Amino acid sequence: MTIEPELIWIVVYVTIGGMLGCLGAHLLPVGGAPAAMGTATGIATGTVQIMLGAVVTGLFTAATVSSFSNNIWLVSLAGAVGATIMIQVVMFMANVLYAFGCGVVPVSGRVAVDPITKAPQTAYKTPQTDGHGVPDVVFISGTVGGFMGGFGGALMYFALLFYANFMYGTAVIAALSIFVANAILAAYNIRGTTEGYWDPKFKKMPKALIGSFCVSVLAGIVVMLATIALGGGA
Amino acid sequence: MPLEVVLLFAWTLVIVFLAFLACHFEDNESDIGSQSNPNSQVQLAPQVGQVHRFFNKAISGEPLSNALYQGTAGMIAWMLLYKLEPLVPDAKWKAAVVAIPLAVGASALIHMIFATTAHCGRIAAQKRFEQPIYLDVFYGHLIPIATHGFLTTFSIVSIAYIQSNLGALAGDPRLNHPFALPLLAFIWGITVGSIGSSTGDVHYGTEREFQDRPFGEGKRVIYHGRITRYADCGIRTSKDISPFCAKFGSPATGLTFGLIILLENWRTLIGMKLGGYLPVLPANLPLVPTVHFATAEGNMAAVWGIILGLIIIAAWIVGNMIFVKWIRAKCGPFVGA
Repeated sequence: MTIEPELIWIVVYVTIGGMLGCLGAHLLPVGGAPAAMGTATGIATGTVQIMLGAVVTGLFTAATVSSFSNNIWLVSLAGAVGATIMIQVVMFMANVLYAFGCGVVPVSGRVAVDPITKAPQTAYKTPQTDGHGVPDVVFISGTVGGFMGGFGGALMYFALLFYANFMYGTAVIAALSIFVANAILAAYNIRGTTEGYWDPKFKKMPKALIGSFCVSVLAGIVVMLATIALGGGA
Repeated sequence: MPLEVVLLFAWTLVIVFLAFLACHFEDNESDIGSQSNPNSQVQLAPQVGQVHRFFNKAISGEPLSNALYQGTAGMIAWMLLYKLEPLVPDAKWKAAVVAIPLAVGASALIHMIFATTAHCGRIAAQKRFEQPIYLDVFYGHLIPIATHGFLTTFSIVSIAYIQSNLGALAGDPRLNHPFALPLLAFIWGITVGSIGSSTGDVHYGTEREFQDRPFGEGKRVIYHGRITRYADCGIRTSKDISPFCAKFGSPATGLTFGLIILLENWRTLIGMKLGGYLPVLPANLPLVPTVHFATAEGNMAAVWGIILGLIIIAAWIVGNMIFVKWIRAKCGPFVGA
């Protein structure tokens, strides 16, 4: 039996998509429960939950685009932009709520000076907290994280749709499932809160990427076997 | 009948309005039931000796629980539509008017069951900290939780119904979204929960839960678990949270979801118009979408959509920088002890 090139592309794209999802989750500013009390910087929810919310928004747009375009890069970029817009609006509106609802200004708890805008951070921070809100450096890290996660999710979705010949609904659920596995791997590294690229926890990222590689390759092989067994049209 | 582009935009605005309502009520429902991240403090309170009268229904993370309610309602609505639509072939909207509320009602019952088991289970587990199960708190919160959940689910299932029939409503069924109604309800359920959890909780957790602490500072670690247990008059319950958060936290959360839906659909539609894909759809476009179908106009529509999206992304980055700079200048450095 010969293995067709499409089957190899499924494994390749699923692996790339999964690893991008894991990398994107590391870049998101996740504040978890402490952020909901203004005790930590970032978005006040868990890693997987916010990543999932962003990626499904991207997948919705990617699905619309995939109904009139069969270019893998256009579909993936459309998904990436959708996820990025979702995460950006959430971060901005969280800042508005912190500012006007709670009287708290956005401050990073990990850096004394914002690496991008050079704005001082320590003077604005409440004592006995780990920062609050979404300052500029964290906002940009989250934007890049959302873009990578959305791109990875839409890439996997397109591979399942186009090369594995899954139906629209099956493709999106399978892509989401593989994505969640990778986001959970990142959540083990993040352990509650992170500020993204400037957080010391980001240095642990390579180990998660190795885990993500193994999971994604396995998932890719399972999809490939499903494609062979079902003969497409799943 | 030719495709009416203006109708597409009009229906998109209806979806945006429904999205605003959905996320507004979702956040308020999570505040009344004390679900999500600030619930960690309600959970912690008895452990630090603060017996309270809050409802405690952390069923799961908000995205997952909302995906459950909305996915269930979407599935039931879809099955009812499947049976009812053939009965009224000339006016299918009549089937939707019956099917959607019935499905959402069934989902609300499931919501109440989960709220009951979660509250009783969590509070019973705190017996060792002498936290009683107040039956009036339990009975009094179930209906507000179910009604707010009903409105969220109703809005989301309506969004899913409109999106899965968007093309038909605008004059050409070939432009319907490729996802089925239950899947769209599931997807927006995850998103609405994700936004309600990440944006709306801030007003409840940072402000309302610690209202007897100084305003204008992040809540310090030593305050954790020591939540505000007394209301303006009497002892506070979770129902007292709702009117406060409904004035700012919940509408802001609704605006978040509304903006996301608006920007996403708007840039896709504008991209389709600029790319030349609308208003005249390709003649060979199949009724059931196939992935291998593509036209040059379709690709151009995708390119325009991405370009518009990138402009929006850049605008948000700049907007956030201006906002952070402005609010810091307005509030100044921390001056408390």
